[in-house]
Order: sequence, then structure tokens, then C-alpha cells
Amino acid sequence: MRTDFAFIGVMLVTAFLLMGVAVFAASLLRPRKPSPAKLETYECGMETVGDAWVQFRVQYYIFALIFVLFDVGGVLLFPFAVAFNVVPLYAVLVVTVFLGILMTALLYAWRRGALQWD
Amino acid sequence: MTISQVLFIVISLVVLGGGVMVVTARNLFHAALFLIVSFFGVTGLYVLLDAGFFAAAQFLVYIGAISILIIFAVMLTRGVQLAQPANSQWPAALVVSVIVFAIMALMLGPVAVTIGQRQFGSVSWPNVVEGQPAPAVPDDHLVRLGQSFVDFNQYGAAFLLTAVLILVAMVGAIWVARDRALKDVMEERAELAAEEAQEAMLAGPVQQPLPLAETRSAEAPAASVAHH
Amino acid sequence: MSVIDTVNNLLKIVSDGVAGLVEGILGPGLGADLITMGLGALVLCTIVALVFMGMTWAERKVVARIQNRVGPNQAGPFGLLQPIADGIKMFTKEDTTPASADRWVYNAAPLIIATFALVTFAVFPLAPGVVGTNLNIGVFFVIAVGSASTVAILMAGWGSNNKYSLLGAFRTVAQLVGYEVPMLLNVIPVILLAGSMGLADIVQRQTLADGNPGIPFILYLPLSALAFFIAGVAETGRSPFDLLEAESEIVAGFHVEYSGMKFALFMLGEYVNTLAVSIVFATLFLGGYAGPILPPYLWLALKTAGVFFVFMWLRGTLPRVRVDQLMSLNWKVLVPMSIVNIIAVMILAKLFVTSPGLQAANGGILVTPETQAAILFVANVAILLSGLAIVARRARVLRLAEEAEIESRREANRAAVSGFAGGAPAR
Repeated sequence: MRTDFAFIGVMLVTAFLLMGVAVFAASLLRPRKPSPAKLETYECGMETVGDAWVQFRVQYYIFALIFVLFDVGGVLLFPFAVAFNVVPLYAVLVVTVFLGILMTALLYAWRRGALQWD
Repeated sequence: MTISQVLFIVISLVVLGGGVMVVTARNLFHAALFLIVSFFGVTGLYVLLDAGFFAAAQFLVYIGAISILIIFAVMLTRGVQLAQPANSQWPAALVVSVIVFAIMALMLGPVAVTIGQRQFGSVSWPNVVEGQPAPAVPDDHLVRLGQSFVDFNQYGAAFLLTAVLILVAMVGAIWVARDRALKDVMEERAELAAEEAQEAMLAGPVQQPLPLAETRSAEAPAASVAHH
Repeated sequence: MSVIDTVNNLLKIVSDGVAGLVEGILGPGLGADLITMGLGALVLCTIVALVFMGMTWAERKVVARIQNRVGPNQAGPFGLLQPIADGIKMFTKEDTTPASADRWVYNAAPLIIATFALVTFAVFPLAPGVVGTNLNIGVFFVIAVGSASTVAILMAGWGSNNKYSLLGAFRTVAQLVGYEVPMLLNVIPVILLAGSMGLADIVQRQTLADGNPGIPFILYLPLSALAFFIAGVAETGRSPFDLLEAESEIVAGFHVEYSGMKFALFMLGEYVNTLAVSIVFATLFLGGYAGPILPPYLWLALKTAGVFFVFMWLRGTLPRVRVDQLMSLNWKVLVPMSIVNIIAVMILAKLFVTSPGLQAANGGILVTPETQAAILFVANVAILLSGLAIVARRARVLRLAEEAEIESRREANRAAVSGFAGGAPAR
């Protein structure tokens, strides 16, 4: 296992270095003539008012939360799926109940209008 | 030192360094990013433990999901860049962290405390002999994990309870958001009622020969002020 | 070894040869291993980067043909040198960083997105025995690493300190994270049938014992394949789910402020992710490198190109969806359907087993793989059709309600206008 991941570590480092080299090489080749107007943020030619770092809607948070819950539910199904051929028949029932509860959660969110984007 | 030990020290430094930066960063968004660095280090620790599935799950759930949740939460707050590293609660936080650290050190460390008949601390891990390398992770560990999820003598009950927990979390999340939604609904209703009253007035005996469009535009700014 | 075998195993022979050579020079040990892996990673990254250039050309050409244009035709024959011209432009173009940007975050985002897009290629089996590393959690690993792009996008949006960027990043992330759920859920039926998360094992399961291709999983699980594909299109942010770069609304989304090489890295990340989704689809549902006559790596390339062609086709044909439609499609259609599908596949795969060993262990009815495939196919199609029927009826109800509301408003307006009728003429 550890040795399997060694290549991924090497790949991570290699890819990062390659991309870094590309950006660095470009920085040697490209012209650099900054001017105040050029360095302004591009907001369709309007002059920028204030920072972009403002408050956002709570709906994004709710969506992210629903996503986290289903992500965790999905991840838990993976080991079961691998063991599917060796588990007894009643295991299907257990996982069906599990999925049924997840579905209930989804339906609850649906009913409450949490899945509505407006 | 073996390579694993070197890697362990490097990764631990990443995890701890990220953690320190989280609590010292003034900018909340940067703090969230350092938290992700810390999560990434934990992924590395799972790899060193030969737990590939958990490493990937850690990456997927913590870096791909929870960190997004945290960043969204950060964006909900005001003054993202003005975070104070300490507030009035720091003594309480210090006490709690010292206690938690002491408990963990007792559980894992070499010191044991005996209270009455029971010995606390200095846990001896199953299947590990001191001085010997830990036993290898079996090849079919994923299959065994999957089996244990549906076996009620092992984690079957916990597996189903997780689903219940997800359901409860969903209900809780929507409950928290509901307060705001309800307020919005009330405001919308109030606006609609006002609009209807206006229309009814227009539709009734004609007092103001204003075209509809003008009335609307005169009304709009007032409505938007009320909304905020 | 015959010529055909040599051609078929070309990749394996070359990679083994290089590994042997390095070991011969340095002697066996950690150094040799590291250098071999480094070379492998370098070659893999280079190949992917070249494929990325080819993809940009192919996409421009194909979409142009769909829209009755010619596409790039100036640089080289058929415009084949266009990607190189683009590359030169990217390298020599001035790269402006907004003065108010959050510098570290701004510069790190493109590097992170490109790096993690490339890392997924470490686990794809390109031919029998030719794979960066044969992880036993292959497909799960690919999905996990793919989720890193959300963080990078948020970093880009935040780092630019541009309102459109941040808004685009938020939209994009809400979309990406949403569609990760059906992606996860639709991989599960495949793992149920294959009994493994390893990509090589999944290919093996779709190959007959004599090396010829067996029944690909798309015939077992058409619904999963469809849902996975839709989720894949959304995950890579391509048309018709390209809300992140809706020019008319948010300029160009999270990468408005990027130019030059950093912009190129975003493009690379996007295309490499598309390529990764295409390869995963080809591996999970189309049998991967298994195929007759042609060498395995060519089969994989052909299947991947086919999937990518569908991507381009969609881009050339479909209009962009609305953000609320996007969310509804995910949470109200794909996710429930996938959950029902998993349950159905579990039950049917336990009832109808294909090996006597399984029958002896858990009972069930022994059938041939063809029969099992047919049963699952019918079940999948049935779920898909009934799901679509429910969606259609619901959409009809909503539409009728909307029409009724519009009609009633019109009525009210007419009444209001006729209120004036006594005095001034209605205008």
C-alpha cells in the first residue's frame, strides 16, 4: 500500500514542479509593463467599489451542508460495495435501510424547499 | 531512521504547522486554507499507516467537502480579514486544551494512572509487540471492512446509526436555515399584501389617473428598503 | 515473441526496459526506484500535456464543423499547429496580477488545479500491466483527487479580489460539489458487480478469460452510465453546464483576472479533468483497454476519444441550463434515481448470480452473464423511464400552474385597465 502510494507522491511532486517551471519560464519570456490602470480588477470597465470580500448568501452554506452529508453517506457505501460478493443476503436489507434513511433525508430537504435555488 | 519515520516527522510538521497557522492567521480565509494544509497532512499520515481507503476518504470528505463548508461559513461572516487571534474566552480555551491534551497523552503515552482497580493510560495495542514492526495490513482489508459494516456483531448498528445521524443533521441544518426563510416569507407576504392593496385601490373608483407603470416605479424603492 | 505481441505490449516493454536500464546503472535500491518513478511521472505528465494540446485542436475543429464553420486552418495543415501557436502566445503574453489581489492565494490556485488534475493519471491502466500504480481503491482515488479542484477554484475566486470572480467561484463550487454526489453514487453499482475499486480489476471483470472483451458494464448499467456521464459533464464544468463561465452574467467566472501562463494552467486543468472523466467512463463502462485485434492502448485511446467526442457534440448542440434547473436536475432527479438504482442492482445481483461458488455461499439463481446483463439492463431502463415519467408529470403540473398564474395576472390587469374604461380610453 505504502509503496503503491509512493508513485502518487512522486507524481504529485513532478506535476507541481512541471507546472511551476512552466509559470517560471513564462515569467522570463513575457513582457512586464504594469500600469495602474492595467492592474485594476476587471469589472466590465466600471471602477471597482470596495473589496469583493463581502458576505454571501446562507443558501450556499445549506447546499454545502447537504453535500457533505451525502458525501459521507456515499463514502460509507464503498467498502460494502467491494465486499458485496461475500456478504450474506440480509446485508442487502441493511444497506437498503441505510439508503432509505438517506432518501428520507433528501425528501425532507426537498419538502422544506431547501433544494430550491432561487 | 527509516524512510517512513522521516516522512512521518515531515508530515507531522506539516500538520502541526498548518494548525498553528490556523489559529494565528488574521485573515479568516487564510486560516481556512491552512486548515486544508493540515487536512492534507493527515491524508499523508493515513497513507503511512497503510490505510489507502481512509486516506482517499479523508481527502474527499475533508478537503473536498468540509473545507468547502468551512469556507462558505467564513464567507457568511462579516469582517473576514479582521479576525483576532484571541478573544475574551482564551483562558477557558487554554484550560480545555490542556485537559484534552492531558487525557490524550495519558491514553497513548507511557505513563499510567491507577484509580481504584482500573488502570488508565499506557494502552497496549492489540497485535503489536514492542520492538517489532507492526503486522502488515491484510490484502483483503477493504472486503473485511465492508463485511463489518453489515455485521451486527461488529459495526452494523453504527453503520445504520450513521445514516440516522445524517438524517438528524439534515433536519437540523434546515431547521437552522428555516428561521431566516420564514422571515423572508413573512416579508414577501407583507409586500404582496401592500401591492394588492395598491392594486385594489387602483381598480376601484378612479381617484388617481396614474398609469400602472409609474405607480410601480414609485413604489419599488420603498419596497426594496423595506426588504433589507 | 511475435511482432503482434511486441506491438500489443509496446508500452509494457518500453517501461520495463527503462526501469531495467535505470536499475542497471544505479543498482537496485531506493535511488533507482525513485528515478524510475520520476521518469515515469515525467513521461506521463508530458503525454497528458500533449494530449491536452490535441484536445484543444480537436474541440475547436469539431465544434466549428457542428456550427458550419471551418475552425483553425491557418497554422499548419488543417490548423494542426494551432495548439503550438496558442502555447507560444501563452508563454509570451504579459501576465498581469491585479494590484489588490491576495498574491499567494492568487498564484497558488492555478498550480494546484493543474497539479491535482495531472495526479489522477497515476492510476489509469493504459494497457495490461501498464499503470502508474495499481491502487486497490483506484476509482475512489480518482474521484477524491478530482474534488481538490473545488478548493483551488475558491482560492482563485478569492485571490483575484474581483466580485465577478468570487461570484463565479461560488456558483462553480456549488455546482461541482452537488454533482459529486451522483458521481459517487453511480460508481457504486459498477463496484458491486466488479467486486473491486481497482480500475485494472474493473477492466478485468469486463474481459473474458481468453483476453477478448466481455460484456461492458454500460450494457449492465445503462442508467448508471448515463447519470455518471451527466455528472461528469457537470463536474468538468463543460457546456451545457458551463455556468461558471457564463460570459453574459459573470464575465468569465473565477478566472477573469488570470492571463498568460496562469490562465493556460486553468485551461489545462479543465481539459485534463475532461480527459480523466472520459478515461474513467471508458474504463468503468466501456471495458477499458479490452478489445480485439488492435493493441490495448489504442483501444483505450479510441474509447476515450469516443467519449470526448460526445462531450464536444453536447457543447456544440445544447444551450446552457439555468442555475435552478442545474440544481434541480442534480438533487431531484439524478440523486434519487441513483439511490433507487443501487437498491435494485443490489437485489438483482444477489438474486441472479453468475458463479456456482456464489450460489453455494448465498443462494440465488444461477444464470449466464448474458442473462444477468439483460435483467439488469431491463431494470435500469425501467427505473430510468419511470423516473422520467414522474419528472415529466411534475413538470407538466408546474407548467400548468405557472400558466394559470400568468392568465390570472392578465385577468387582473384587464380588470384594472377596464377600471379606466369609463373615463380615459385604455391605452
